[in-house]
This record gives sequence, C-alpha cells and structure tokens, in this order.
Amino acid sequence: MNPRTRRALEFVLDNLVWFMLLFVLVVFSIFVPNYFQLGIFANIIEASSVLGVMSIGLALVIIAGHMDLSVESVAALSAMAVGILFCSSGIGLGVQLYPEWLMVPVSLLLALAVGGLIGAFNGYLVVKVKMSAFIITLASYIWVRGLVLVISGGRSAQDLAPAIRWFGIQRLVGLPLTAWIAVGCFVVFSLIMAKTPFGRHLVMIGGNETATFRAGIRVNRNLIIAFVLAGSIAGLAGWLLAIRTSGATANLGVGLLFNAFAAVVIGGVSLKGGVGTLPGVYAGVLLLSAINTAINLMGLPANFTQVIHGLLVLAAVLLDAFKQTIRQRLA
Amino acid sequence: MNEPLLVLDNVTKNYGAIEALKGISFSIGKGEVVALLGDNGAGKSTLVKIIAGGLEPTSGRMLFEGKDFLARSPAEAKAAGIETVYQDLSLCTNVDVVANFFMGREITRKVFGIPVLDERAMEAVVGKALASAGTRIPSLRTNVEHLSGGQRQAIELNRFVHWGGKLVLLDEPFAALGVEQTRRGLDMIRQVANQGIGVVIITHIMQQAFQVADRIVVIRQGVVAGDVARNKTSPDAVINMITGETLAGAGPTG
Repeated sequence: MNPRTRRALEFVLDNLVWFMLLFVLVVFSIFVPNYFQLGIFANIIEASSVLGVMSIGLALVIIAGHMDLSVESVAALSAMAVGILFCSSGIGLGVQLYPEWLMVPVSLLLALAVGGLIGAFNGYLVVKVKMSAFIITLASYIWVRGLVLVISGGRSAQDLAPAIRWFGIQRLVGLPLTAWIAVGCFVVFSLIMAKTPFGRHLVMIGGNETATFRAGIRVNRNLIIAFVLAGSIAGLAGWLLAIRTSGATANLGVGLLFNAFAAVVIGGVSLKGGVGTLPGVYAGVLLLSAINTAINLMGLPANFTQVIHGLLVLAAVLLDAFKQTIRQRLA
Repeated sequence: MNEPLLVLDNVTKNYGAIEALKGISFSIGKGEVVALLGDNGAGKSTLVKIIAGGLEPTSGRMLFEGKDFLARSPAEAKAAGIETVYQDLSLCTNVDVVANFFMGREITRKVFGIPVLDERAMEAVVGKALASAGTRIPSLRTNVEHLSGGQRQAIELNRFVHWGGKLVLLDEPFAALGVEQTRRGLDMIRQVANQGIGVVIITHIMQQAFQVADRIVVIRQGVVAGDVARNKTSPDAVINMITGETLAGAGPTG
C-alpha cells in the first residue's frame, strides 16, 4: 500500500462519523420529501444544542477513563435553579435585576456554579476516596433529580425573563444564539482537547493512568478538573434547556442522558477511555438529530426514535471494532 | 568510587505485617552503574519504587546529592532528577510516539497566554533522539498500540537517555528486546553513565549485569546480601549470594 492511499484511508477512519453523517443527510435529502431545505438543516443544529453541550462534558470524563451519569440531572437542577429565580409565573420568584441584561451573566453563573459544585463533589469522591465513578455518579443522577423534585415540589416555573430568553429568540445567520453557544463550546473544547497539555494529559490518563502518574502528571488534579468541567458544562446545558422551554419542569430533560451516551459512542469515544475526539462527538450529536428530524418529517410515530437510536449505538460499537481491525492491518 | 549520588540508609518497607524490605543500605556514585540482583520477591522493585517516588518507605532515610531526600510522588523524584523505566512499560498506547516521549513535559508555546502544544518542535526532538540511538519507527505519529514490544521498549529507553537527569532507575529494561537491541541498550547505559549519570539496573540475566555494571548489589529477603565490585566477583559467587548459600553481607568472594 503506498503512503498516499494509506493516509487517505486513515483520514476516512479518523472521520468516519462525519462521512456517516454526510451519507445519512444525502440519503434523507433524496428519499424524504421536504428534507433538503436550509431550514431543516438549521433545525437539526438548533435541536441538538442542549444534547450537544451535555455530550461534551460526558465525553471529557469518558475520554479520561471515567464516567458521569449525573449530567442529565445536573442540567435539570441548573435549569430549575434558573427557572425558580428568573421565571415570573408558576413557582418562579420573578427576581428582577437592573439593568436587565445583568440577569444573563447572573443566571449563567448560577447554572455553571450549581453544575460545578456537583461535579466537584463527584470528582472528589471518585478521585480522592477512590470509589467507582459509575456508582458515585449513578447516586448523583438519582439524588440530584430528587433535589429538583424537592425544590420544585413537582411543579413548574414558566415565563423566563425576556432578557435571558433573548438568547433563544435572537438569530444570527439563521440560527438562534443558543445554537451558536453549543457550536462555540464544541470549537473551544475540541481545541482544548487537541492542542493543550491539559487535553493531551486527559487522553493519556484515559489510556494508562499508571504511566501518566509515573511520568509526573498530576493525575488527581486533572481528573477532578474533568469532573468539575463535566458538571459545569451540564449546568450550561441546563441553562440552554431553561431558555429553550422558557422555564423549567420537574421532569425536564429526562432521557437526555441516554441520548448523550449514544452520541458519545456513535462519535467514536470508547467507553474504555483514552479514545475519541470532540468533533466526532458533535457529528454523533448531529447524526442523532438528523435522524430524529427525518422521523418527524416522515410522520412516523416518535416511538420509533428510540429503537433507531439503540440500533445506531449497536452499529457504532460494531463499526468501532471493525475500524480497529483495519487499523491493525495498516500499522 | 567517587562522591556518592544517592545513599540509602537502613530503608525499610512493611506491607502490614509483611516486611518487604528489612533495612537496605547502599550507595550509588555519579557515573556509576549498579546492577541490582535478587530472586523474585527479594524486594528489588519495591526498592526502585521507593527511590522513584511511587512508594513511601516505612523507615530509614535517603540522601540525594548529600541532602535528605524523600520523593512523595514520581513528579517530585523527576524534579530532583531521577528517571525511571519500569518493568511493565509506562507508555500510553492510545497516543502517538511523540506524545509518549514528552509525557508530562510537553513543549508549549503561548497563544494569547494559553499554553498550546508545539507538535512540530516535539516531533523534531523525538526524530533526532530516535535517529541518534539507531531506533527505527516507521512514523512518529503512529499510536504506540500499533508498535511491536521491542519498538515500545526502545521508546522508553530513548526517553530516559534523552531526559537523563542525574540518576536513572531501570527495572528489567530489556525484557522484550532482541539480541541486537539489547546490545544497543547496554551501550546506551554505558553512554549515559559516562555523562556522569548514576544508573541502577535491575536484571535477572547475570550476563547483562556483568557486561554493564561497575558494582553488583544483591538483595535477598529484604536485606543487602552482597555489595561487590564487578571485577572482584564472578557469576557463580553472585548466584550463591542470590540463593543464600553465602552468608548475608559476606562481601567480595572468588
């Protein structure tokens, strides 16, 4: 095999999800009536912003060789905190700040802080007390959702302050600002993972934690930061969710965790840790969203979505194994 | 022997009721190669981990360059100038050769105040280091998982030669190497020692110890059973020390 075909093949393997996404878009555009429109494509990106942001945090922790099942509940708690403070009806307290724009940074910081705190709690128990991330974050998944129910009393907050809602309404090049925030997050965190020592260290910790410890990398510190980031990013996802629904309900975002997992796995992240990139995860998120949109357009019952997502995850795992065999042959 | 680089003074390590090291004392000079020999479970790897910061001793003290020394983490040992090559390789197979070579010591440049990996500079350094050691790896950008055992070990060895420091600990570094690569590895050790770096090498192969070491230290059941200059002993005498047929601390024989 000459170097050029080899490089081309490696490029395809590295970006397989993107090719899958392209393939799916082309197929849908041909076979699904009304699919091929700019509005539909914009909608795919827009609909995936909350899931996309959440998947970033999940992917970071999984790449570092751990797990965070709590992201969905954390997002819900952040959304509820923002909802209770800045919504004017339901259980909303309708807090007003002047000037009005001040509510944007305050609500955002609140959401990030709520997420960051729970992330720090998870990280501390996993790293310092050396408990299994799966169990710790499963517990958080349950108790944080419980906390949402407790503080809301099972009721909902509506009518989010217009200054904050503005991000969901104002459009730039056909996309609401919330979608741009998601895209921006992917760009920023992709760069962090690929270009900075911190990102490189996370990948290596996921690959061989002992080796990185011996090499003098501060493993515990990096892992706790990863958990705090995952929590904060989930908080941001919650903020976006509150804007999207203009409030918060007690069961906001239920089921997002499994979609985030699906996106991360489809995006080429290995649950064993150390493998995967964030652009791939974004492609995974868009792929799920593209399929959902097609299902909607075809008028299939929404119940089909879950079956298709499940099969897609299965296909992604099989594809990953297939990729490994090809790579071994390349080396 | 010239000025001692590292002195171990009655270092012990207990795991609960088990005494892995019962009091180890010996020293390593600058530019000296010490072969650490002993049967399985004698405590060699434990000792190396204590010096390298992977384990803390239960009691005893160490002097490094004449000053009290205790590494609480591998990072501290590295900062002091102690490099370690472990028996089970310390490579991250999920990243490429360059990333492994620079693990924890990446070259960065600041972009808007944020440290960004300088891949080109790192690749150049690795290319030069591997070429000067005669190691051939098809692409420095291949993930280590696709390389052979020998190539992996070569990366580890080149890594310690490149970073050098003041003291190098090698825990069975040639386990996966072929004849030619082993010879080159032994040459590398001599080369490193000639630069004034102290080397401790753990090995099971008597021939290697006699080929490269200035001094041979035998550990048996957690104590030093022999500490002799290479040219004053013979493989048979050392084997006797390892298996315990000679009295502990008997010193030079043969």
